[in-house]
Amino acid sequence: MAILKLYGGKQASCTRRVATVLHELNVPFELVEIDVMNGAHKKPEYLKFQPFGQIPYIDDDGFILYETRAICRYIAAKHPKSGLIPTDPKSNALFEQAASVELTNFDPSASKAGLQLWIKKMGYTYPTDDKVIADHLETLEKKLDAYEAILSKQRYVAGETITLADIFHLPYGVYVTYDGSESDNIMNRASRPNVARWYKELVSRPSWLAYLDGVKTTTAY
Amino acid sequence: MVLKLHGFALSTCTRRVATVLHEYKIPFELVPVDPSKGEHKAAAYLEKQPFGQVPYIEDDGLTLFESRAICRYIVDKYRAPAGVSPLVPKDTKGKALFEQAASIEYSNFDPYASGAVREKVFKPMRGLPTDQSAYDFCVSTLSAKLDGYEAILGKQKYLAGDEITLADLFHIPYASMLAAAGCDLMTTKGPNVTRWFNELTARASWVAVKDGAKSFSSY
Repeated sequence: MAILKLYGGKQASCTRRVATVLHELNVPFELVEIDVMNGAHKKPEYLKFQPFGQIPYIDDDGFILYETRAICRYIAAKHPKSGLIPTDPKSNALFEQAASVELTNFDPSASKAGLQLWIKKMGYTYPTDDKVIADHLETLEKKLDAYEAILSKQRYVAGETITLADIFHLPYGVYVTYDGSESDNIMNRASRPNVARWYKELVSRPSWLAYLDGVKTTTAY
Repeated sequence: MVLKLHGFALSTCTRRVATVLHEYKIPFELVPVDPSKGEHKAAAYLEKQPFGQVPYIEDDGLTLFESRAICRYIVDKYRAPAGVSPLVPKDTKGKALFEQAASIEYSNFDPYASGAVREKVFKPMRGLPTDQSAYDFCVSTLSAKLDGYEAILGKQKYLAGDEITLADLFHIPYASMLAAAGCDLMTTKGPNVTRWFNELTARASWVAVKDGAKSFSSY
């Protein structure tokens, strides 16, 4: 059986999300870098695999899949004992609720502010707009107040055990902290101690720490 | 005890859930929430839905919010009626391709379709000014994304394969409002998108709720 191939970018945010879950589940994979700088992801030979011209996608022994959350769900479904997607009906419903909350209430503002903050931090010459960042962070502050209410009653976003719904908050949950200091940023406010606790746990996981310098082919765990 | 859907008749997300309830012929009671009175931001409501959004359901002791999660729960819990194929595949690859399609809806369609509808339909309803450049951005981005849809739907009948799934149904509420928002892309982008859009909006489950979701006790 061929090793899973992850077509993406070493430093690309969505590639990192997939790599984090592959690492959580100890799945060996090969990173195949796509030359995004030169528009390789918009060429016809790439669009055959990913018709929206986005990275990443995977090739798992001939099975092609794109959209990072779908990729992560597919890998987790092959490892049901991990609990990253709960199987009992009620826990599964609450997992889907939390996964949807991440999509609708976290990602829109976190990804837009986070991407720009990451570009600034990395020193890339790509235009950013401080007002756009500020507006999205303002939206996110209010959303995180609701997260605080949820996380004051349970350890993780879907219940008492970690699931993919928590991990989907990476990497943008980290990038939005680049506005502020390590001890006082949007994920670490004195007014939201439960969000801070949850965030700190997430970013201490070996699966996140493994690729701080960029995603790389990983064949042994 | 009958499933309770807390929402309002013309809400896009309430109708998204009601469509799936109709697909699976599940009786339900629509419990009205009046956003014009701020009912969805009242303390009692926030206890159930901490983001102050519509809808949520109560079913068999479970409270659940996020319309797409509610739809998934319905399909997981209830059996598809005779002659209706399950709206979420169970086999590993079929499920993965469904998840890919569900993610496409959320990341490549919804932001731009809902954004266009917000600017030209919801904002005027609330007496707020339209941001024309935001609208133009949504429409031009949606047009580019629908090129991807046109390619996919030229090879298969629906977004996840040749069977309809929740991923297709998730599109309907906002897709059906684009014309009212002055955007005709769903019927002009290409023959495949047009065919798919027309099939979806002709489904009995959508026709039953498009002009307003309401309590339904027998099918």
